[in-house]
Formats: sequence, structure tokens, C-alpha cells
Amino acid sequence: MTERPWLAHYPADVEHELVPPPFRTLPELIAHAAAEYADTVAFTQCMPNGMNGSLTYAQVEALSDAFAAYLREDVGLQAGDRVAMQMPNCLSYPVVAFGILKAGCVLVNTNPLYTASEMIHQFSDSGAKALVIIDMFADRLPEVVAATDIETVVTVRIGEFFPPVIAGVIRLVQKWWNRSLPAITVEHTALQTALASGRERLGKAESYVEGLGADSLAALQYTGGTTGVAKGAMLSHGNLVANTLQMMQLLSTHIRPGKEVVLTALPMYHIFAFTVNLIGFFHEGARNILIPSPRPPSNLKRAFENYKITWTTGVNTLFNALLNERWFTENPPKHLVASAAGGMALHESVSERWREVTGTPIVEGYGLTETSPALTFNPLGGVGKDGTIGIPVPSTDIRCVGEDGTDVGVGEPGELIARGPQVTAGYWNRPDDTANAMLDGWFRTGDIAQMDEDGYFTIVDRKKDMVLVSGFNVYPNEVEERIAAMPGVLEVGVIGLPDEKTGESVRAYIVAAENPPTEAEVMAHCRETLAAYKVPKSVRFVEELPKSPIGKILRRELRAIGVTSDTASIETQGRELS
Amino acid sequence: MTGASLIHLTQTVVNEQDVVTEFEQILLVGLVFVIMFGLGAGLTPRDFRSALRRPWGLIIGFVTQFGIMPLLAYLLVIAVLFQLPREYAAPVALGALLMGCVPAGTTSNIFTYFSKGNLALSVIMTTNSTLWAILMTPLVLAFYGSLVFDAESDLQIPILNIVVTLATLLIPVVAGMILRRYSANVGAVMELLGGFFGLFFIVFLMATWVPRNWALLTSTPWQTYLVAIGLGLFGIAIAYAIARAIRMHPMNARTIGLETGIQNGPLAIAIVLLTFAGSPDIGLILFVPALYSLFIVIVATFVTFWFRRANLAEEQKIPNLL
Repeated sequence: MTERPWLAHYPADVEHELVPPPFRTLPELIAHAAAEYADTVAFTQCMPNGMNGSLTYAQVEALSDAFAAYLREDVGLQAGDRVAMQMPNCLSYPVVAFGILKAGCVLVNTNPLYTASEMIHQFSDSGAKALVIIDMFADRLPEVVAATDIETVVTVRIGEFFPPVIAGVIRLVQKWWNRSLPAITVEHTALQTALASGRERLGKAESYVEGLGADSLAALQYTGGTTGVAKGAMLSHGNLVANTLQMMQLLSTHIRPGKEVVLTALPMYHIFAFTVNLIGFFHEGARNILIPSPRPPSNLKRAFENYKITWTTGVNTLFNALLNERWFTENPPKHLVASAAGGMALHESVSERWREVTGTPIVEGYGLTETSPALTFNPLGGVGKDGTIGIPVPSTDIRCVGEDGTDVGVGEPGELIARGPQVTAGYWNRPDDTANAMLDGWFRTGDIAQMDEDGYFTIVDRKKDMVLVSGFNVYPNEVEERIAAMPGVLEVGVIGLPDEKTGESVRAYIVAAENPPTEAEVMAHCRETLAAYKVPKSVRFVEELPKSPIGKILRRELRAIGVTSDTASIETQGRELS
Repeated sequence: MTGASLIHLTQTVVNEQDVVTEFEQILLVGLVFVIMFGLGAGLTPRDFRSALRRPWGLIIGFVTQFGIMPLLAYLLVIAVLFQLPREYAAPVALGALLMGCVPAGTTSNIFTYFSKGNLALSVIMTTNSTLWAILMTPLVLAFYGSLVFDAESDLQIPILNIVVTLATLLIPVVAGMILRRYSANVGAVMELLGGFFGLFFIVFLMATWVPRNWALLTSTPWQTYLVAIGLGLFGIAIAYAIARAIRMHPMNARTIGLETGIQNGPLAIAIVLLTFAGSPDIGLILFVPALYSLFIVIVATFVTFWFRRANLAEEQKIPNLL
């Protein structure tokens, strides 16, 4: 047993070990919450103009039962078959996702903005047999269906389960005003038809999940798409149930079962919102306010006006964007209790302002797709340390190790490795990648971190984002943090670029806000608090930064931009010379 | 055009009892109510608080709306319209002045959206000028009215009636706000309808009013057209130029331009219908508001295209300062 110095910092009434859950699988967890909170509103979808629809816990339970029956009886899927789903946050999401899980099938979450080739990779790799897709993005279907094993396509509408008149208005606007509905040329079934058919064949639900246990596969969650070929992390029912409860246990001091109203602006196809909002807050009897599209941030205005939001979950980019909206800072949500950030580093400047503006705590957690996702969280009911990712969630062990796999000392940077019930068994059909990711039963995160004497961890950076300037390690996070704190800087991304003299050099890409600083001012500011080799050698002002669907800044793409634009300018110079 | 034919023209119009039929009157007033209702359905008390905290955009909007537009209407009237015989020009001028004094229309929000302007600013400016209109429209109208018409003139502006009409039109705004509080869905639909009905109104004018008054339109002197078109076009241009001159972000300058130039045509028509009912001159008073409403769509469309082309490159460098 590894030493766990962090246990001393658990809030007083939080158990150190995960309380054994009364259920082994997600269908059991869902049924449990649905029975407990039957008539409470579970999900409300709020469109940018305030149009909305809701489903109660009992309705979600009944509809997902019908969808499970449709998958098994109509489509003829078996337990363990993969079903892909591709939609933004909407009321269909819980119905379809829970239906897939209740059918004993494996959920393959897919980003709706994927191109045809990305979809083909993900569906072929997972071997998905069925796809549930939002109609707005169905234009890619002919190409995708032809190239994969997908035999069944179910389409959903964005206004599904809304009051009929409102759904009709939304559809009219989509069709005639936005013209965002492509003609669907492949054979498909509308969700409502599938549900109607499933409703007639209810009754065998027990048998679908008979063989399921904690080790059964629940989801293939693709990751690494931003660094190369996307791999499917195998998340079992046990992984997801454990992680849901681990998080809720650590955050329990600030969650009132049956009373919370949580803003779900991050897409639920991403592991953070999937586990925390869709499953975690569902388990707690909360009302999820689903936002189909959080960009631009003004799309959230009506949600904040119309609902008494008590919880928000998000990423740095989202909190930062809200803090730059006047309607938000002038009328911060009155009923807010707390906020949780994950997915990427939460800048201290952002967390400080958030607390100042809303008067409520915000805590940062850390995790990966492969760990369902949460490994650590700052304890809401205990001492939160800004800039750290907090302490491990219950029943989780974390170490920082050097290149040789031995523990580094307190305060020393090393690769963060983790062990716990939420950690994946590996990557789907990729034994080599799985072997590379594991170290004697511990999962290697690829992140460089350090632990302080209290057991709080701080992420130094991604191992592969590290910039090597004249043999010195520069961690982009550190430089970004400094620049982000400057007035006039909206967002910043820091990368390393090849450099003749120093091997690599630091470049900052900045999205300017009001009264932006000059390049020289940025460098001078960095020079005040950073060692000379960490100061950016060049600064570029850009309109926007490349981002992942949840808003994580994609340094790999920034590097690509940096390298090509520099080569291009060199080429131009060459031509001018010759 | 000779004086004789103009007098003839005046007489035809005066004798025409059904320039606007009773059915159209009811429909137009109903339409204005729906538009105002939609405006209210998009508002919360927070919006007012926010607007009051940051008054600069609103002050500029206020100045352009109740300073420039009425002045522009007045100048067009004395420089262009009063070249024509008074018995024709006076009632038409009254309509033109009224058109200059009414608040901004909801259609401006749609054009702001398409010209990549600041939609939030547009909405708040429309709302703001609509609320101020109760006080400002009668006040400004009375002022320019006293400059244009002498006290003994037959044509008097029923200021009190206009105040009552404007106050009445605030009822749907408040009702919209209350309704939206209880059902966000109904509120959002009304908001959407309000915007569309503004456009529907133009279509309606084209389909019924234009054919029926075709003879009148073809014999209308160019001066009247210049006033009706110029009010919108020059209004947009002047407000935009001022906003740029005081170094506002192009996005906001575009918004202020469109917001200022695009007046609430349906409201002006409703005011005429409700306050000049029974007046023999009602047909001529309605003339500029009706022509303005028709042409502003065309003017704003061209301006929107121009804005989209002219400003894209410039905007790359300038951060949003409002």
C-alpha cells in the first residue's frame, strides 16, 4: 500500500475509501435514481433563444427502456455490440445513451463535428453496427455508411421531446431560415419511430443486462485524436460507476441530493460531462440544463436568466468566456453553490475572478479519458489549493515517477501514474498501446506533475508539450499562466518551435481583448517573473486559437501553424533574394 | 409636374376614403401589438439594469435617434418637400416629421444580425428608444411641428393622442416581459414572430397597399420619394459616420448606423391611424411612413451588403471597445 498523505486533507465527513456502491452497472445506477426521483425534472434543454423542453426521471427511464428494446428486438443487436452516437447536448442524449447501456450494448461517443474520414476511422475501429445521429450532420452518412459496418441509422432532431409547437417552430427555422437540415439519403429510422416500436416490445429488459457485471464494457471513449490516431479507451460499467461515486463522494459537502440545478454546457460526448453531469448529477437527483451549443457564450444567457443554476461544470475556456461577458459579470447567478473545472488547466487568474464575481468556490479536478475521468479533485469542503489539481479521489493512488519508474521526492517533477477502480483496462484492440500505457498495473498519464507535502498535486505540463530551450525544460503552462494574467489578453497558447541556436524556442500565440499589450510588453512582463530561457522569443497575435470540442487549446495544431508559417516566410525571403 | 396636376392629385387623395381600409387598420394595429409584444418577450429587468450601468452606447443611440433623425426629417421637409404646393406638401410633411421622430424598429435587429453588427447593442438600443419615445416622440414632433406649421394652420398635431397611443403600445411590451417570465417557450416564439412580422408587414404593404394606390404612386412627385428614401439612407450614413468619427468599433458603428436609420415604420403608421382617424388628410399623412417602410428594406439590404464587404479587412486589427 502506497502512502496517502492527502487523506489528512479530506473534508471531515468524507469517507477515505469509496463506499461500496449498491449497484455494479450503469443500468442499475440509472434505475436507482429514476425510482428515487421519479417525478423530478431530470433534463431541460435550453436553446439560445430560451426555447426549452424537459424530461423527468421517470420519463427518461421509460424512454430509454423503449430504446433498449428497439435496439435488441427490432435491430437485433446483442450484448456487447457497439452503438455509436453523435449528437450535441439535447434531450435525446440521455434517452439514447441510457438505452444503449440498458440494452447491454457498448456506447461509442462521437463528436458530431467530425468529418467523414474521422467518423469512418472511429466507427471501423470500434466495429459499430448502429449509429444514432443528429439530423443536422447527416450529410456525411452516405460516405460513412458505405465504408463501415453500420447497418442501422437512427436520426434524432434537435427539438426532440419539446412541446410540439415549439419543436415545430425550431424545425421550421432550421429548415427555412438556417437551412441546416441536409437531405438524408441513406436508409434511416426516426428516433420517435424507433421508440414507438420499442414500446411495443418492452418486457425483456432484465434479460438484456443479465450477463453484465462490473467488468463488462460500457463505453469506448476515443482519445488521442489530437495527437495522432484516436484510440478507444475501454471503460467498464465498474469504471464509470466507481468514478461517478468517487467524485460525488468528494464533492458531497456541496451537493444537496434532489435539489441541484446544474449547467451542462460542455458536450456530454466528452468524458468530463459524460461522467460528472450525465451520470453523476443524475445519480444525485439534479436537474441538468443542457446547452446544445455553448459558443458564442451569449448562447448561455437565457439559461442563466431562466433557471436557478446552482452548479456549473466547465473548462477554463468556458469560465473565462463567461467572465468576459458583461451580462454575466453584471448579474452573476444568485443561486450558485459551486463550480467544478476540468479538462484542462484552470488558470489562477480565472479561478480568482470567478470567485470574486460569483462569490462561490470553484475547484479544479484532473483526469483523463482513460480514467473515467477523475483522478483528483480539490476538496470543496476542505482546503482547496489554487493552481493544484487537488488530492486523489477516494480509493485512488497516485505517484510521480522518474524515467526509471521510481518515485521522485516531494516537490520534484515526475510522470504522474495512477491506480484505482476508475482506470481503464486498456485500449480497444490495441495491446501494444495498452502495454505502453501501463507500468506494473499503474496507468501512465503522460503528464508531468509534482506532489507537495500535503499530498496535493500540481500538473507541470504534458510530457510531450515540454519545450527544450538550450537543454532547459520550459513548461508551456507556466508561461501561459503568466501571460494570461496580463490585462488585454483574452487567451494564450504557448508552444516550442525549432530554433537554430537554442534547439527549440518559445512562442506565444495571443488572442487580444480590449487594449492588448505589445509584443515587447508581453516579453517584459514575462521577464519579470520567469527565467530568461522561458521568456517567449516571439509573440503572435491571432484571431483565435485552435481548440478541441471542449475548448482545450490544441498546441499540436499551433505548432503546425507555427512551423508552416515560418517555412512559408523563409521561402518568400528566399525568392526575394534570388 | 405642373401646379394644376398637383392640385388635381391632392384632390384625388383627399377624396379617396379608403386609402387604408378598416380591415387594414385593424390588422396593422394588431401587427404593431405583436411586434411590441415580441420586443418585450426578449427582455428581462436585468437588461434595463445593464443598460443603465453602461450608458454610452445608449446616449449615442439617444442622440442619433431623437436628435439626428428628426432634424434630418425637418431639413428634408423644408429643403425638398416644400418646393411643392403647400396643400399637398403640408400633410405629407407631417408624416415625414412623424417618421423622423418615432423610435427604432425591430427590423434593425435583423439587419444588424446580417451585417455582423452587435446584436445585443441593437436590441438594447431599439428597446431604449422605444421606451424613451413616450416622452421624446411627442416632444420632438411638437417642436419641429411648430417650426413647420403656423399656429392657425388647419393641420394640428394631436400631441396628447400620440402620447396615449405610445403609452398604450407599451402595454404589450410589459405583457411580453411578464409572459416570458412564466413561459420561456411562448416568450421565445413571440420574440421570433415579432421579428418576422416586421418583415411580413412590408410584404403586406406591397401586396395590398401598393396595387390599390398604384395610380397615386406613379403620379407622386420625386421630392416625396427623395424624402422617404433619404430619411433612411442619410440617417444610416450620418449616424455611421459619427460613430466612426468618435472611433467606435466598426461593428458597433454599423449597429448604430442601422439602428438609427431604420425607424419603426409600422408604429408610425399605427400612430397616424389611431390619432388622425377621420381627418381628410389621413391619406397624405400616411404617405411618407408607407413609402419609407417599403424602401427601407431595400436601402438596408444594400447597406448591409456594403457593410459586409467594406469592413471585413479593417476589423482584423481592431479589438471590440464598446
